[in-house]
Amino acid sequence: MHARQWLNRLTPFLLLAPGILWLLVFYAYPSVQMFISSFWAGTLETGFTVSLDNWTTYPQALERYGPQFGRSVVYGAAATTVCFLIAYPLAYTIAFRGGRYKSLLLFLVIAPFFTSFLLRTQSWKIILGDDGILFGPLKDLGLLGPDFRVLATPVAVVAGIAYNFLPFMTLPIYVSLEKIDGRLVEAAKDLFAGPWRPGGSIAGGVVGGLTAGGLAAAFEYDIVAFAILGAVGGVLIGAFFLSESFIQIVFPLSLPGVFAGSLLTFIPAMGDFVNAELLGNTQTRMIGNVIQSRFLDNNDYPTAAALSFMLMAGILVAVAVYARLLGTKELTSSG
Amino acid sequence: MTDHDTLPTSELTRRRFLQGTALTGVAAFVAACGTSGTGTSSPAESAAATTSEEPTASEGGAEQSPSAELNFANWPLYIDTDDEDETKHKTLEDFTAKYGTVVNYSEVINDNDEFFGTIRPALDGGQDTGWDLIVLTDWMAGRLIRLGWTEGFDLANMPNKVANMQDVYKGVDFDPTDDHHAPWQSGMTGLGYDSAATGDLTSLEALWTDDPRWKGKVTLLTEMRDTIGLTMLRGGKDPSQITEADFDDAVADIQEALDAGIVRSFTGNEYAEDLVAGNVVLAMAWSGDVIAKQAEKETLVWQLPDEGGMLWTDNMLIPRGAANKYSAELFIDFVYDPEIAAQIAAWVNYVTPVKGAKEALAASDPELAESPLIFPPADVLANVSIFKTLTEEEEGVFNDRFSALTGN
Repeated sequence: MHARQWLNRLTPFLLLAPGILWLLVFYAYPSVQMFISSFWAGTLETGFTVSLDNWTTYPQALERYGPQFGRSVVYGAAATTVCFLIAYPLAYTIAFRGGRYKSLLLFLVIAPFFTSFLLRTQSWKIILGDDGILFGPLKDLGLLGPDFRVLATPVAVVAGIAYNFLPFMTLPIYVSLEKIDGRLVEAAKDLFAGPWRPGGSIAGGVVGGLTAGGLAAAFEYDIVAFAILGAVGGVLIGAFFLSESFIQIVFPLSLPGVFAGSLLTFIPAMGDFVNAELLGNTQTRMIGNVIQSRFLDNNDYPTAAALSFMLMAGILVAVAVYARLLGTKELTSSG
Repeated sequence: MTDHDTLPTSELTRRRFLQGTALTGVAAFVAACGTSGTGTSSPAESAAATTSEEPTASEGGAEQSPSAELNFANWPLYIDTDDEDETKHKTLEDFTAKYGTVVNYSEVINDNDEFFGTIRPALDGGQDTGWDLIVLTDWMAGRLIRLGWTEGFDLANMPNKVANMQDVYKGVDFDPTDDHHAPWQSGMTGLGYDSAATGDLTSLEALWTDDPRWKGKVTLLTEMRDTIGLTMLRGGKDPSQITEADFDDAVADIQEALDAGIVRSFTGNEYAEDLVAGNVVLAMAWSGDVIAKQAEKETLVWQLPDEGGMLWTDNMLIPRGAANKYSAELFIDFVYDPEIAAQIAAWVNYVTPVKGAKEALAASDPELAESPLIFPPADVLANVSIFKTLTEEEEGVFNDRFSALTGN
């Protein structure tokens, strides 16, 4: 009897053991190691020594690489926004209009993942090429100036990130939409929920204007022009596509998916360096590029470690704040 | 240093490219630089490196036999490859036939720093890297030798290497005794451009000229020594004697071209693809890459600039603790056989360091043997420079400032 009680008590820990071991070996230990190496001083050839006096690496790194940190946040947020704008209608359509093609459509969403991340990014260079399949014809028609280009600009970087992380946004939103009981919507309609033209126009206009203006600011384009354009688009979409049942039932119920999707997109987007490297130029480097370059090109392990640690801590804080605002319960219950 | 990973095109073999290539103005081509660059060799460091090898070098008396395997890491497209089957390399098969050693050939090196990152932990910890033979560019080879992370060669096992290495490669500052490295191939850095878009160019000045034909479609290299070296040559300075002031001047010059919007970005090997796609029409470029890409775009040109170009060499090294050191020595010696060197040279577009390879090749392919790309004429050297072998401090400072220039 005693033995059995012990076993019962131990079972949860035994079940957790593999996961905890994994985290200890592959997360906790490297993190500690990284933290320690951020207090190193020295070079590869002379060896490194640890001293707490080297805390100055942190403020120095932050000062020198502030712009790249800022860019990571801006590009990450912009890409997450773009992902949301594309993924929500996509997930909505698959969940409610997919019918028997649902599985196929979902498969198509993740199909690009069967190809290497690098190759997918590289192929955007072909699509966005200065005289490539997209801009070549437009230039021939005289719609774009001969010097117009998207490659080697922030737009290409954000577009690349948004493309690469789109499924991370789409799938959680799809899951939360798919779970919604259709009878709720029917009930709403029975209770005279109908189109929502005035409210939809205003909400759409405000959101559209702010989003487009914000993206334009991130890309350093004309903010006013884009805000107006976005507002007009938002008004149209709001007037024709937003219904009372959507605003009151479907959208609130899908928020956990939006929350999870945003995190899953924003976190890797912020740390990404491949898109900035392949699609950007010297003015679009993100913090991931700096860490990579510090570590591999300059053998400056302390700075690389300090930057990685600050990035990790920064993301943790941002996630905590975000979770506080929107609620972690919903994240964990979104399945 | 460079990427050699341009893809082979099915129709044309590399040999054809070479023959068809109008190597505009290879006015100067060099092999001659092995010894030229560097007032600053540090005898103390080299001596330290040499002594650290002594335990290995002195055990030579025992009877040795070739091992069953040899693990060889090299850059992509850097050895003769069968036109039909990319996994077949005649040189390696010939080696197996002669010694019975199977060569595990891996094209895993795309970047000196990156590859260094993969072997550093093992070497730092005194362990075997898993490689018996690796190929790295001068400065990186110098770093490994300086750190004592390479095995010294037992030259008694290498009669061909001793006899056939071109004189210009002898006595380099990072290995004055020539027993820690063996040159594999050399190549040059100059101007690559699409003549259809830019017209004919011969001067590095083009990279600083605000011309609508190429403004915003110009790339420089992420390889610090190439980009800074060419920038110095444009200013009439000698990259083999670079000082900190020269370096800062070069950085300022490059910043000027960036600010003017002429230079689009810094790239590794990607510039070759961009030249073909038309995103870039003028670039600092590696000779072999552009020649290879001419199969896809005939108007591409590689040009040794009037002001001069950069020369670099990739070297075979045996990493410390290599399991099959003796076989690695046999292999190095094997590729210094003129017949074998000719076989490799006939496929790869770069400069071969082996004496007699030209004559060996002339027997089978006289036209190719005349290629100034593989066998630069001795009288037209002079116009290329080798970057100074930097001290550790210089390298740290330069890399750091160059990173800042490239946005990192």
